[in-house]
Amino acid sequence: MIDWVITTLGHLPVVVRTVILIALFLIPLMLSVAYLTYAERKIIGAMQVRMGPNRVGFFGFSLWGLGQPIADAVKLMFKEIIIPTGANKYLFIISPILSIAPALAAWAVIPFDKGVVFADINAGLLYVLAVTSIGVYGVIIAGWASNSKYALLGAMRSAAQIVAYEIAMGFALVGVLMAAGSLNLGEIVAAQKGNIGHWFVWPLLPLFVVYFISGVAETNRAPFDVAEGESEIVAGFHVEYSGMAFAVFFLAEYANMILISGLASILFLGGWLSPLAGWDAATTLPLIGPILDSGVHWLLIKISFFLFVFLWLRATFPRYRYDQIMRLGWKVFIPITIVWLIVVGIAVLAKLPPWWGA
Amino acid sequence: MLENYLPVLIFICVGLLVGTVMIALGFVLAPHKPDSEKLSPYECGFEAFEDARMKFDVRYYLVAILFIIFDLEIAFLFPWAIVLKDIGLFGFLAMLVFLGILVVGFVYEWKKGALEWE
Amino acid sequence: MEQILFYIFATMVVLSATMVITVRNPVRAVLFLVVTFFCSSAIWLLLEAEFLAIVLVLVYVGAVMVLFLFVVMMLDINLARLREGFTRYLPIGAVVVIMLAIMLGMLVGPEHFGLDKFEAPARQAASYSNTRELGMVLYTVYLYPFEIAAVILLVAIVAAIALTLRRRPQTKYQDPDIQVAVQRNDRLRMVKMDAEKRK
Repeated sequence: MIDWVITTLGHLPVVVRTVILIALFLIPLMLSVAYLTYAERKIIGAMQVRMGPNRVGFFGFSLWGLGQPIADAVKLMFKEIIIPTGANKYLFIISPILSIAPALAAWAVIPFDKGVVFADINAGLLYVLAVTSIGVYGVIIAGWASNSKYALLGAMRSAAQIVAYEIAMGFALVGVLMAAGSLNLGEIVAAQKGNIGHWFVWPLLPLFVVYFISGVAETNRAPFDVAEGESEIVAGFHVEYSGMAFAVFFLAEYANMILISGLASILFLGGWLSPLAGWDAATTLPLIGPILDSGVHWLLIKISFFLFVFLWLRATFPRYRYDQIMRLGWKVFIPITIVWLIVVGIAVLAKLPPWWGA
Repeated sequence: MLENYLPVLIFICVGLLVGTVMIALGFVLAPHKPDSEKLSPYECGFEAFEDARMKFDVRYYLVAILFIIFDLEIAFLFPWAIVLKDIGLFGFLAMLVFLGILVVGFVYEWKKGALEWE
Repeated sequence: MEQILFYIFATMVVLSATMVITVRNPVRAVLFLVVTFFCSSAIWLLLEAEFLAIVLVLVYVGAVMVLFLFVVMMLDINLARLREGFTRYLPIGAVVVIMLAIMLGMLVGPEHFGLDKFEAPARQAASYSNTRELGMVLYTVYLYPFEIAAVILLVAIVAAIALTLRRRPQTKYQDPDIQVAVQRNDRLRMVKMDAEKRK
């Protein structure tokens, strides 16, 4: 059966085959996005000693509220999309699309396992950086097209913030490139081969921290969510959005969270590599050996861990004040990254083991 | 090399399509009953006054310009980072001079208070 | 396939570039300019200039156009006043356009660049990394122009600050450094005094 599917796929034209594979990838991605919202509510609920959603289930069973994301999606689908007076109609509708398309398109170069990637391009990381930088248009256009003061304030805040943290993020990525000597994400993972000690998180620890915090700021998540800031500017740039138009913004934000988590796992934690890799006694065990060995499940575990940190941050920290956000981005992260780039440069040239030894 | 980029192109198209289909779905399935109160921009219950698109502090432009400059700097760093092992100490020193010149600019903007958000 | 893609993107570049100068809403014009950049980047990619194509998106679409949007969105552009001078400047404009068209017509074409003397470069293999090739020469052979680029960027930083930085002495804001450095003695004065008798 599986062989038959693979051979049939092989006979199809490349374009059709790619579209089918992308669809096969996007459906689980969208489901994970939906259930990430559920996980968020459950986890934050638990941290605040609440139940979280626990009513909506399937076929009369409540099942810990597992039906909640589906119910939310259906509800949003049947809500009216309100286009406010004085709004630029086309721009108003285009901006959610501009927001979600880059969040999905960036997945094209993410490798899931050795050689399992949609587009194995040499400039993979550069592509991710370029595509994600387009996401800021969704926010700016949404804020401007809405013809609402809150939306405009949110958009300006968000744009200046994304812009500031993108530089810190770029510098942190340059550190990874120096360590790996390649822009191809698959080769970056391959450069971390070995056991857990070979992962780039150790020599690049400051860059890793800067990268992840910048990632949180780029996705406008708490504690950097001044673009939405319910208590100050209602809902920020998407205050005028309702129904599916709002849902698309929402999906884009969560898809970006998963993307940032995936990139952090690939760049710093060795992607699909197992922490036990290279320890033959464990990986050759019967039954659990393949599980302990490298594989896509390790990537999923690492992504889940980062997503949990995203939610944990939200439950723990109060919102940053705006001038503090800008100060952190420009005055703390950029100097740290520049200094550490020079340190990494010296380490690479000195062939510091175990990462760059002969 | 080019054939590697075909999935990227398809992925971008699919991404745009997903967004468009979802919004279209919302328009098709949802009711559409506008009235003037519902369509008025939200301003905490007040009647909206004056145009929402106001002039902004020039500081935002400054941040955007500084962003462009540093973005360019990062673009210069990318090829350097991946060939560092090949060009060795000479390339490293070349980049040190480059970074040094830009750090002078960074210190200047810091001291001038351009990074201060008042 | 490649040719089809080239014509699709080329058409889109021409169409969106035309839209940039014809649409009335300036924000929409900027967005069409973004589309133009995006499609030109695709054309560069078809020429196998991988690094430059993606950097075009990163720098122009991701950064420069954001600045344009900031500027355009926040300006009060009065369309009626902009249109006033249209007929008055039309003759001069027409002369400039005709001259430009003639000059472009004379210059465009491979023979002006000596390209007809060379064969078109062969297609590169899948493992070819454009970025690596660029890096190998940029920091060694072209070191001098590279450092000059740094100086130009430095000038840009200084110029941007000189042009736009306005101090506002009347705004009040918090300085976290001072807040953290506050000592008890700065805020609180303990006064020793004898208990007083109730009257």
